[in-house]
Amino acid sequence: MNGLSVFRLLAITATFVAAGNAQADSSGKWQSSQEVYNKVCAYCHEANVAPVLTGRNLIPQYIQVIVRNGNRAMPSFRESEISDATLAGVIKLVSTSAPGALK
Amino acid sequence: MNAKRKTLPKGIAAGEFDKAIKELKKILGNENVLEDELRLAPYNKIMMPVPNDQHAPSAAITPASVEEIQAVLKVLNKYKIPVYPISTGKNLGYGSAAPVQRGQIVMDLRRMNKIIEVDPDLCTALVEPGVTYQQLYDYLQERKLPLWFSCPAPSAIAGPLGNMVDRGVGYTPYGEHFLFSCGMEVVLANSEVLRTGMGAMPNSNTWQVFKWGYGPTLDGIFTQSNYGIVTKMGMWLMPAPPDFRPFCIQYPNEADITKIVDALRPLRIAMVIPNAVVIAHTLWEAPCTPVKRADYHTGPGAISDAAVSKIQKDHNIGAWNVYAGLYGTKETNDANWKIIEAVAAGTGGKIITEEQSKGSQALQYRFDLMKGKPNLGEFGLYNWRGGGGSIWFAPVSQAKGSETLKQMKTAKDILGKYGFDYVGEFIVGWRDMHHVIDLLFDRSDDDQTKKAYACYDELLHTFAKEGYGVYRSNTAFAEKVAATYGPVKRSVEKKLKKALDPNNILAPGRCGISL
Ligand SMILES: Cc1cc2nc3c(=O)[nH]c(=O)nc-3n(C[C@H](O)[C@H](O)[C@H](O)COP(=O)(O)OP(=O)(O)OC[C@H]3O[C@@H](n4cnc5c(N)ncnc54)[C@H](O)[C@@H]3O)c2cc1C
Ligand code: HEC
Repeated sequence: MNGLSVFRLLAITATFVAAGNAQADSSGKWQSSQEVYNKVCAYCHEANVAPVLTGRNLIPQYIQVIVRNGNRAMPSFRESEISDATLAGVIKLVSTSAPGALK
Repeated sequence: MNAKRKTLPKGIAAGEFDKAIKELKKILGNENVLEDELRLAPYNKIMMPVPNDQHAPSAAITPASVEEIQAVLKVLNKYKIPVYPISTGKNLGYGSAAPVQRGQIVMDLRRMNKIIEVDPDLCTALVEPGVTYQQLYDYLQERKLPLWFSCPAPSAIAGPLGNMVDRGVGYTPYGEHFLFSCGMEVVLANSEVLRTGMGAMPNSNTWQVFKWGYGPTLDGIFTQSNYGIVTKMGMWLMPAPPDFRPFCIQYPNEADITKIVDALRPLRIAMVIPNAVVIAHTLWEAPCTPVKRADYHTGPGAISDAAVSKIQKDHNIGAWNVYAGLYGTKETNDANWKIIEAVAAGTGGKIITEEQSKGSQALQYRFDLMKGKPNLGEFGLYNWRGGGGSIWFAPVSQAKGSETLKQMKTAKDILGKYGFDYVGEFIVGWRDMHHVIDLLFDRSDDDQTKKAYACYDELLHTFAKEGYGVYRSNTAFAEKVAATYGPVKRSVEKKLKKALDPNNILAPGRCGISL
């Protein structure tokens, strides 16, 4: 058909690993709170970079404040990145999670 | 005046500001004009060693289109209110999402996040400012397109446009990001929309494939500047190589840097190694391993050389750790691999292949970055000192061994004087190197914060005296850094500013440019 098939041939041995088990999404809109967790929080909080959040019954308000304000080594996240409604979902997920449940 | 308002742009009366805000709300809708302290908080989380107040925004706006930006600029010109555009706003250690000067309105373009086009034949993309590398990665994955991009370490949360306009770098063969951009759309202060290069011509379909266009090539003046708001960027993508062979070479002694650079330079210039070679010091690797500083050093002051040696032995980390990759077919990589082996053997380095790297966090995130796979592994750096203080000191150096040792020693001495560790790496561009040092400090400790400021100041001026300039700077030091580059360049920049933004409303002070 076009150059693409040539690339496919070329890339026959190239490896492509999908990002985690989240449903991939490139629309620029988060599909779920789990997706935000996987593609933002988990890169640090499930990766030995930041404290584990799951299974700790963290208080929702506390998580909200930390995410919006940032804290020490934790960067802040703006509404334009994660809307209030989506963040509420992430907070619920995190605060009610069992240990290791969101990996 | 809005009773809750605490911060205003310099020289703007509260009543005037209120009027402007009202007009902005009419254009953008109430919810896209942020004024409350709580909603503005994420725009004021900085890592620099200066008070938050110095970089507090008066408001933030989140336009969704070029037309909205054009309308907003008319209002801002009328009231002479300055605006600070950000794209993904993750310029961490360089100013984050906060404005360069207190009181500027942040124009947050994160909502404009369309991947407008990916051409799989020509291997190009056209993106808006709010697109993240993660989003682009997902896009290519979903469509099973065998195309790679280059990204900086904070890849998952940062984006190609914001990174490119600050002339950031990454780790694939396309790592010098401005070099691999092709065509921009820019909204000028007077609301005109400029497309650079071939994009200037109506109906052109070569905007993303030929950079120069006709007459002067203007793209450069929209990077590290404040002459326009970039709303689209073309970028080149790399065909995924059939065979990718990342590797690390570890060296036991700090002084080895001389022979490492001299041995690798010819391979880099000849493109046997096509990507930016990173030469990372022990103390960059340790926090990303992760090693705890407190296990090796307690109390004030910089960590001792003896402790650094112990870390190397305990955790199998080199004094220097070279990262690079071979990108090609199996046959070409087999041939080039022999060269790499010979160079490592000849210089006393120990090769770690991808196979052998399994289980090492520090190696894994690097190997992923070398194929443009997003992660945030490098944020381990912030656990080293703790407290969220960081500024990057990143002088440019020639890719010559003698230069690196000299720069490293000078930096280490100055850092040590203020009680900070040398956490550094050299990123070999092509003939240059970015000597990137993360000045890590505990920002919750006033004394350390003051020392970090003084330390950066001394680093900057000592290096400048030797003729070494930084490739990029944090917003707190923008003016001082600009001054190190001499008066003529600055006067030209000012003339351009006057011509393009006579009311000085676009990010005045960014990179030291203002009227
Ligand atoms: C652990 C760590 C590792 C890092 N590693 C790297 C690295 O490997 N390489 C690297 O380059 N950086 C690195 N950085 C620095 C920084 O985080 C990245 O460069 C990041 O990509 C910049 O943020 P951004 O992409 O969100 O751009 P933004 O923050 O959106 O933009 C950066 C600046 O460009 C200007 N700007 C943005 N958008 C526009 C626009 N549309 N029009 C006009 N001007 C605009 C603004 O002045 C803005 O402040 C690192 C940071 C950390 C914390
Ligand atoms: C770039 C890495 C990074 C990302 C991404 C990140 N965090 Fe964090 N986070 C940190 C670090 C580091 C800390 C510890 C900060 C400190 O004390 O210095 C932290 C701390 C926290 C805390 C406080 C934990 C405690 O033990 O008290 C919460 C809650 C939190 N993060 C939530 C989140 C959520 C929710 C997300 C996703 C929306 C997220 N973080 C994304 C790095 C990150």
